[in-house]
This record gives sequence, C-alpha cells and structure tokens, in this order.
Amino acid sequence: MERRSLIKYFVAGAIVGAASLPSFARSAQKKAATASRYLRPPGALPEDGFLANCIHCGKCGEVCPNRAINFFGLENGLASLDTPYIVPREQACILCMKCGEVCPTGALKPIARELGEIVANVKMGHARVDKNLCLSYQGKTCGVCARACPLPDIAMSIGFLETPIVMGGCVGCGLCERSCIQIPPSIRVIPDMERS
Amino acid sequence: MHRTWQRHLNKLRWLMLSLVFGTLILLPFFHLYQTYLASHSYDLLLPKEKLVYDSMESLTAPFLSDPEKQLEAVKGTTWSGTWFGLKLSDPLAVISQASAGMKLYWPFILTAAIPLLFTVIFGRFFCGWICPATFAYELNDKLGMWLRQAGLPISQRRMDRRLKYLVLGIGAVLSAATGAVLFAAVYPPAIIGREIYYAVAVGGFGGGTVFFLLTLLFDLMVSRRGFCRYVCPGGALYALLGRYRVFRIQRNVATCNDCAKCNVACQFGLDPLRDGFGQECNNCTACIAVCPTDALRFELKAKDAVNQGPGHLGQLYRKQQQTSEKAEVQKI
Repeated sequence: MERRSLIKYFVAGAIVGAASLPSFARSAQKKAATASRYLRPPGALPEDGFLANCIHCGKCGEVCPNRAINFFGLENGLASLDTPYIVPREQACILCMKCGEVCPTGALKPIARELGEIVANVKMGHARVDKNLCLSYQGKTCGVCARACPLPDIAMSIGFLETPIVMGGCVGCGLCERSCIQIPPSIRVIPDMERS
Repeated sequence: MHRTWQRHLNKLRWLMLSLVFGTLILLPFFHLYQTYLASHSYDLLLPKEKLVYDSMESLTAPFLSDPEKQLEAVKGTTWSGTWFGLKLSDPLAVISQASAGMKLYWPFILTAAIPLLFTVIFGRFFCGWICPATFAYELNDKLGMWLRQAGLPISQRRMDRRLKYLVLGIGAVLSAATGAVLFAAVYPPAIIGREIYYAVAVGGFGGGTVFFLLTLLFDLMVSRRGFCRYVCPGGALYALLGRYRVFRIQRNVATCNDCAKCNVACQFGLDPLRDGFGQECNNCTACIAVCPTDALRFELKAKDAVNQGPGHLGQLYRKQQQTSEKAEVQKI
C-alpha cells in the first residue's frame, strides 16, 4: 500500500514536472528576448549565469545605502521572481559596491571600491543621449548629467555649451538618467544583459 | 524525585524561535535607519519615517557608536545571512544554486558548512529551533487545536511523508532544467525572511506571502503540520542529512508509564510512545516537556531503539508481568 502510494506521488509529480517544463523554459527565454528596461546591480554575471546563481536572499537590497535595489515580482517571468533590479530613473546606483561584497553566491561579483576596478568590471549598461531632447544640444546650457556622473572624463566628457558626450568608460550606473531634468529623460542607460 | 533539566528545553526553544523571528523583523528597520543615516536628511523624513529613525536610534545608541557601519554586521535571513562577518547559508540554498548553475561555487558551499555540521549532529534541529516558519506553524497548530475543541470539523489527514523527498528531487531537476533557483519560491523560511523585508523596507508584501498563507491554511484544514511533514524540501534535506544524527530523543522504558501524552504533543505525528522517532524528528522537545515521568530525554546514540514494548510503570506491563509470573508458577 505504502509503496503504491509513493509510486502514485512520483507519477503525479513527474507529470506535473513534465507539463510545466516547457512553460518554465519559455519564460526563461522570454526574459532574455524582451529585456524589459532594468539594470542588475553592479558586478552581476551575464543574465543566464546571474539567474542560475542568485538564490533570491535579498541581501544586496538590504545593504544598499541608496535603496536603489528593488525586487521583481512575477512581472519579468518566473525565473526573475525575487531577483534584484535597478530602475535608474527611480533610484540610481552610487557604485558603493556593497552588494557584491555581501552576495553569498557570486551572482554579483565582489568588486573593490576602486576607480580602476569599477571601470574595468562594472557593466550594467551604457548611457545614450537623445540630442533632440537634450537641452544642451538644443542650445540651452544644462550639464546636470555631467555633474551627476561619478566618473567624469572616464564615462562622460562635456563639449561646447555643456553638451554631454558619453565615453567608453561608462559603467551604466544611471546617475545621469536620474538627474536629467527633462521628462522623459534625454539621457538613458541602455541595459547590457550580457555585461560584455 | 529529581526531575531532568531537559523538560525546560522547549521553553528555551520558544525563546530561540522568538529571537530569530524578532531579528528578522528588526533587521529591515535597521536597514531603513542606515539609509536615513546615509542620506543625512532627517528634516526631510516623513513623520512615520522619523518614528523609525527615532526608535532605531534609541535602540542602538546605547550599544553602537557608528550605527551606519556597525549595523552591517548582521544582515540577511536564515536563507543566507551574515552574522558578525561570518556568512551562513541554508544547505538547501547550496543545493538549489548548484543544481541551477550546474557548477560548484566553493565560497558559497563553505557558508553552509556550519549548518551542515549541526544537521549531521542534531538532525532537523533547524526545523524545530530556528526556522521562522516553524514559529508561525506552531502557533497555527495551537489555533487548530482550539478550533477543534470549539467543534469545527478539521481534518487531520495523514499522507506519505516520503512525498517531500520527491519535492526535493523534482525541484532539483526542474532547477537544473530551467537554470533558475526555484526552491527559494516555495521554501517557507526563505519566503518569510524576504517578505518581512519587502513589507518593511521595499513596498509591501509580495506573492510569497500568499503562498505562505496557503500553507498555513493547508496545515490548519487538511493535515496537522502538513507542509513541514509532507512537502517542505528543506525538511526533506535535513531529514536525510540527520538520519544518523548523534543526538536524539529516546524513551527510557523503565520510567515510561504509557500515558501517551508525548504522542499527542508531537506535532509531526511521530510515535515516541513506541520508540518511533526516525529521521523526521525535529528535536522540538515538546514530548520531553509533557512527559510526567521524565522517560524521554536526549541521548548520544546513532540509532533509534527498536520498540521496547510497554513502559514499565504502565498497567499493560504489570499485567504482562503477572501473567508471565503465573505461568512460571504453574510450570514449577
């Protein structure tokens, strides 16, 4: 009797598992394809590796002094449930690197809080300017984003009339996007899910 | 009669459970306090934020000189946390990360070494002594008892306790297939730690709370402590690891009087009266606390005693003795 009921459970479990597999796989693929606009915290592995390693403990959010790290519900697929993300327009990353230090699984790599280390290893995304929206490019001197940038002359330089020029060293922290006085913002971070 | 100190262990356990649960509630408030400190803007806080700030300040000021830094010492939950520089993780977290990533990441595995060691020695001690869900489930069980006494028809179904090993196995396979850590979504202690943090510091309870409430309802209406006994993948892992634990509760047949209070007290539906503990016992010590003759106590033993028969202080044993004596007398 006992053994039979065990077999029953096993068969039921196997059927449920097999039936739900394709939908799990789909949701995982969908997330890579749609890439809705969010950043992972600094030092995150490439998206697939990140999802496979993040155990959803929430410690990165708990140490973030800027409360920039938020957590997904089901809006980004089942695989992303309870994983950390950053929307820079709401609260950008200040590159304090505490989240990587506290992450137990290496889903966020520990990166020292030093200029060279940060520029070399943090790859959240890359800022891009819309010259039609940007006040400086329209002749009205602004320069707020350049002032907000934590990596001046590495991530961003300023041209004539304080026009922002994004450079190769941009790590995608999003402080420029957060500080932009235009609505919608005229400078935005394009997330890099491959962190390449 | 000199009574054993071990009957007080259950109170100690409740203290421990309350401390863990209380800490999980306190930590998000500490986090908020730290962010307020970091932003240097007390005057811009809302009245309720000021309340958090002031209460946390009065709580920490006597002990800490630099709370913004020093409060970093304790972070996280029972799923994975930092305790004064020591990183500790749930062994189930290691299992799920290893199966999802198909790779062993040693710094993380080492964080589970201490819990693992304790589990090998004490068995499912985490379930009984630390798990924040147990705190809620045991109170829930008390509620169920009152409801039953009030006459509500509450089912106490028994299922196959091996079901949870299937949950563990299938969960690991699914994690490997999808490359996502799935246990975190269905493992109550992980859910509770996270959801308390969400509720206090992020912006309200998430979906995990709904899942947890459903498990409470399942325990209440369908099966007593059903989730821990039949579903929980962490419980399954600990039961497997603690199969040959060294510390286990055993019955002393010489002082047992067959009152069966232990069997009623055991929320896991085990059978202490007939020496039926097994790997499922979570060392909650409720049976030790209710035993009127101190026949139950922890012993250093790698294996359970097989059924030792009726307790020597009980009627059944006395009758057996009398009949065997009579038989001997007749023989002579």
